Amino acid sequence: MPELRKDIVTGRWVIISTERSKRPDDFRAPEFAEIKKESLTFCPFCPGNESKTPPEVFSVREKHSAPDQPGWKIRVVPNKFPALQPGPPPPKKLKGVYQWMEGVGVHEVIIETPDHHQEMSDLTTKHLAKIIRVFRLRTIHIEEQFHHKYVQIFKNKGKEAGASLSHPHSQIIATPIVPKRIKEEIYGAERLFRNHFRECAFCRMLKEELGSSERLIYQNARFAVLAPFASRFPFEMAIFPLEHSAFFRKITDEDCTDLAEALKQALARLKLQLSNPAFNLVFHQAPNPQVSDKAWPGIDSYYHWHIELMPILTKVAGFELGTGFYINPVPPEVAAEFLRKELPVKS
Amino acid sequence: MKKILLVEDEKMLSLLYEEELTKEGYEVAVVHDADSAMEKVKSEKFDLIITDIRMPGKDGIELIASIMGMRKDIPIIINTAYQSYKDDFMTWAADAYITKSSSLNELKETIKELLKEK
Repeated sequence: MPELRKDIVTGRWVIISTERSKRPDDFRAPEFAEIKKESLTFCPFCPGNESKTPPEVFSVREKHSAPDQPGWKIRVVPNKFPALQPGPPPPKKLKGVYQWMEGVGVHEVIIETPDHHQEMSDLTTKHLAKIIRVFRLRTIHIEEQFHHKYVQIFKNKGKEAGASLSHPHSQIIATPIVPKRIKEEIYGAERLFRNHFRECAFCRMLKEELGSSERLIYQNARFAVLAPFASRFPFEMAIFPLEHSAFFRKITDEDCTDLAEALKQALARLKLQLSNPAFNLVFHQAPNPQVSDKAWPGIDSYYHWHIELMPILTKVAGFELGTGFYINPVPPEVAAEFLRKELPVKS
Repeated sequence: MKKILLVEDEKMLSLLYEEELTKEGYEVAVVHDADSAMEKVKSEKFDLIITDIRMPGKDGIELIASIMGMRKDIPIIINTAYQSYKDDFMTWAADAYITKSSSLNELKETIKELLKEK
């Protein structure tokens, strides 16, 4: 019998379709499906091609190496052809009944390694921790310098996930409005805090998940990797800090190291158990504190930042688009059991 | 006289560009596909390349990647009817991305700027 499951925070319902279920093995992506044709000729992210990107705004690089020259380990550059033009938040305007504003924001690309052929899961934990520290630094910089309401950190890996280059990279887009999906989470968490739990709903959920371990995939001192109860996609994962915090920007250097390990474990499991599928990875964090404190007083008590990791193994079609219901053919308990297996992951 | 290679599969449009850019004082060579463009780049010296993206055979992005494999010093302008290719980071190999419009002013200004930098 299929199950209808509710994500308690967003209120989103999911159909866990066990009857249509294939075996977890059947979801393995065809090996080497991604053809890296562009790497054969030219890659604008590779060392030596720094002149093809806008000047870097931040980098982790070897001592005595000059900006916009080889010698970097991690490089942050503004998007050369951004969807939103750089600048501070514009005012909202009215056109009849419609609201609009100028398309202003911040769009940066984080080139994660000089090595075109490495993947995020191949990087050492130490290097991944440095990338996470760069995410934190850029979040704080963008929030304080540009005052945009929301900073979205994300990664598309593989063509099916929307990536156009295989050279490892992540992106940051800061927007002058708080996106609807984040607002849904904030309002849902606030409602549960006020009416039901009197504590953070994510913390309550984590307690249950760690207690039963049914959907737990990996855990270290500071982070847990779970298959969410109402997973929308097969083998969807979520990474939560065990200590309550609404703001990703507040993570410590020790947190970065443990998060790097958790992220590496999650990505390595995808790569090894499911033959390296395309995926989207998104951070969900509380909006810019300058905005949060006014719009959502007390958000620090009831919101909990986290990472969502969504492998692309099925296609979203008419029913999902029409209703907002997702049909997931792999129960998260089965996904967690499959992904939990001990792996030879080097740190 | 500065020499421009124009890669544009729409023949009527390429005639218009050729006429307008010639009036601006440039020498313009026109080809209608990526393979012919590569032949030209191998055999002649250009100061600037303007390329469309959607073309029969290899597209403009593949063409740019091939040119970059050979030489990186020729300024390239992407001139396309579509904004959506901005999502493709391979377009960063180009120096400018212009969305086609009935006015050629942006294209002409960009050419001037890029040739000034050279």
